[in-house]
Parts: sequence; C-alpha cells; structure tokens
Amino acid sequence: MREELKKYSDFLQKIRRYFNDQSVLEVQTPALLSAPATDVYIDSLSVKLNQDINAELTQYLHTSPELEMKKLLVNGSGDIYQICEVFRDNEYGAHNFNEFAMLEYYRLDFDSHQLMDDITQLLKSLGVESQVTKLSYAQAFFEYGDIDILNTDFDALKVIAKRHDLSTDFEWIEDLQIFLFTHLVEPKLQDLHLCFIYDYPATQSALAKVEGQVSHRFELYMNGVEIANGYDELRHADEYKAVFKQEIAKRETLKKHTPNLNKDFLEDIQPSLPNCAGVAIGMGRLLTQID
Amino acid sequence: MANYSTSQFKNGLKLMLDGNPCSIINNEIRKPGKGQASNKVKLKDLITGKTLEKTFKSGESVEGADVMELDMQYLYNDGSEWSFMDPNTFDQYMINDNAMDDVRGYLVEQDMCVVTLWNDNPISVTPPNHVMLEVVDTDPGLKGDTAGTGGKPATMNTGVVVQVPLFISIGEKVKVDTRTNEYAGRT
Repeated sequence: MREELKKYSDFLQKIRRYFNDQSVLEVQTPALLSAPATDVYIDSLSVKLNQDINAELTQYLHTSPELEMKKLLVNGSGDIYQICEVFRDNEYGAHNFNEFAMLEYYRLDFDSHQLMDDITQLLKSLGVESQVTKLSYAQAFFEYGDIDILNTDFDALKVIAKRHDLSTDFEWIEDLQIFLFTHLVEPKLQDLHLCFIYDYPATQSALAKVEGQVSHRFELYMNGVEIANGYDELRHADEYKAVFKQEIAKRETLKKHTPNLNKDFLEDIQPSLPNCAGVAIGMGRLLTQID
Repeated sequence: MANYSTSQFKNGLKLMLDGNPCSIINNEIRKPGKGQASNKVKLKDLITGKTLEKTFKSGESVEGADVMELDMQYLYNDGSEWSFMDPNTFDQYMINDNAMDDVRGYLVEQDMCVVTLWNDNPISVTPPNHVMLEVVDTDPGLKGDTAGTGGKPATMNTGVVVQVPLFISIGEKVKVDTRTNEYAGRT
C-alpha cells in the first residue's frame, strides 16, 4: 500500500518540479459549476444543493478545468497548470471512469507543435525516453487505412465502412471518422510507445483553431491508449459561441440533456484569450503506461 | 433468434456474422475523449474456426445465433458420417466426415463429447480433455529408460500420432490430452 502511494506521490512531485522549473504556475479552480459541459459525448454529473434551506439549486461537477482556467488566462495568469479530479457521467470501458485525475496546462505563445515538444520533455522528466512518432491524422489514415480522410465525404466514407462490414448508422461524418479511426488506426498505434496524432479534420476541431481542412488539435497515444488531447486554443468569444451552439444542437438531435448557452463564460473571456496552446492529460492512464 | 445490443455482449455470446455463427472471445469498450463509445470485439467463426475482429458502434444490435452445446455420446462412424446420440432424448445426430478433421483422432466409441448445434444441425465436436487411446505402432523402447526422458512418436488406434515416453510399447493404453495432443500418463 505505502509503496503504491509513494509511487504516485513521486510521480506528482516530478510533474510539479517540471512545471516549477519552467515557471508554470500551479492553480486551483472551482469544481462545482453553474453550467454543465456542452461536449456532445461528455456528460456532466449534476448535484443538488441546499435542499434543506429552501434555496435548492442544481450545479454541475466539472468534466475538465478547461473553461475556468481559460478565465484565468484572459485575466493575465500567464502559463498555468492544474492537477485535479474531474467527473463525468455515462463513462464505461476499461480505461474510463466517472472520476479521474487530470493534468491540464496552458503555455502562452506556444503552438500545438511546441506543446507536443514540451509534453515530450515532461515525459522525459518522468523517465519516458522512448522515440516519438508524429503522424498527422491524414497520414495515419492513409498509412493504416488507405483512406484519404480529408477528401472523403460522408457518403463515400459509408461505402468504405460497409466494405469493412461496419455500421454506417451515423448522424455526422465526424462520428464515422472517429469510428473508423478506432477500427483501423488505433490497433496499429499499439506498436508505438509514444505517438502524437495531429491536425485533426476541421469537423473534429472542438476548441482548437481551424486552418483550411484541418484543426490544430492533437492527441497523444501511448501503446495505443489515448493519453492527452491538446489544442491551439480558440481566442475569441464568438468562436467559442459558435462551437457551443453547434454542440448544444447536436445534443438536442441525440435527445441528450441540452444545456443553455454559457453566456457567463462568453462574457468572462472578453476581450480575448492570449495566444496559447493547452492540453489535458489523463493522470491514471499516463501512470499506467509509464509503469 | 433474438438480437443482442452491444451492452449485452460478453464472452461466449453467439452472434450471426456474414451468415456464420460466431462466438465472442473478447469484448473491449473504447470511448474516445471526444467521440462515441464503440465495442472492439474478437470473435471465433464456429464454422471456419477463424478468429475475426470487428468494431461495433455502442448501441448497435446484432442477430444472435441459435447455437447450443450438448453433451452427446459418440456411437460409430461409417467412413463418411459420424454418429452421436443425445443420452437424454436418444436423438441421433450425423456429422459429415470432413467436419471432423481436427478431432477424429480423439474420438473413442461410447465417450461423451460436446456437440455444437447451429439451428439444430451439428457443426463441431469437442472431445473430452483426456481420452484413453491404444498404441498400435511405435519403435521398441530403450531398456532401462523409465523416467520418460526424451520420447518417441506412437501411432494410436484412432490414427493420431502422439509423442510418448520411450518405455511405452505397442498394445498399451495411454492417456492423451486432446487440447495439446500430449501424452498424459498411463492410467
């Protein structure tokens, strides 16, 4: 028992030392929020407060500290990181839990490639010295699935899925892209200890900057397991508003809980975020891959 | 036959894929950070014996296969068909000789086997884990070797060839592990 605890404690200390050396500030942001996440496939846990004092209110546990940290960035925090527990509903599978520890950090004036290099350095400080593979999303699909993913439309992708004897019952092209990635590409990533996949299709941009057909978003896979998800962060409230609106509309189509537009956040990030890149890393998954 | 949703998937569940009955041997759920969950499933095709990998969208449903495994007694074969009997109903089932390739060397008349039925037709036979077979041909043993060091090939009465200890001679009955085709003793 003590040995396991010691291992995790050392792991935390090494991470903190790394960021301290880089002058990245550790922060803490609220975990109990008034608005749920809008991500299409991430569900917030709701909490009822103050039921006994007639001030009943529903609040939501954060699914990631992203939006709260972005408020700090707008207000001049500079480089920041946070290690915290996050909570998600409807999670299942061997690597997914309703509560897990996340490391989230932001570097000012970094683009996504500089951030990937920085993550590689962080991993080095944790003892991971393996060779790094970097593949664009399009390269990975081309190499492992023989598919030109950026230039294949929804109907053509369904024909490919059918040829692989897979379901074609998807509402949006990005869901089918992700499904084919899981089926065709992920098994090949199992042979790579450290692999960054970058430049996701614009349809999967989430909160990353879009440039032409691609968004500057990346994921880190270690032995085929998804460890981190990072972006060149969107900066302006109208960009966030467009993403949130689209996510809310999709949740409505899927008959999931549909939150209201988070107007407070959109106001709080006026005039804009600084130019920065940020990433979320699953602590438990990372530790498992390092062991 | 009923349909099964991915949430009901578990090892051993029998599904119809590409017109063949398959059995789930591994079911892994993947939920990407920004996407829908899916089930990565390894299956064994019960007709061809091949292993296949498929990914199902979570919530997708798949037709179940009407597959049953019954304990049956092996009765006899006439060279082209093999006959088995359900001891509870006394129903007899005939299996074509060419479906018996992997197991014919381990079938001893009167032994109980597991017969897999698909839509009430037998598709495969699993012999008992251990069977007693008679050695019909092997080189004479070396004198003094009783510890079973080394070994030699021996042909059994069913035609299967098993590596046996040097002290085993023609006419002896030996126990054979049907999963590994290994000698497992004399009693």
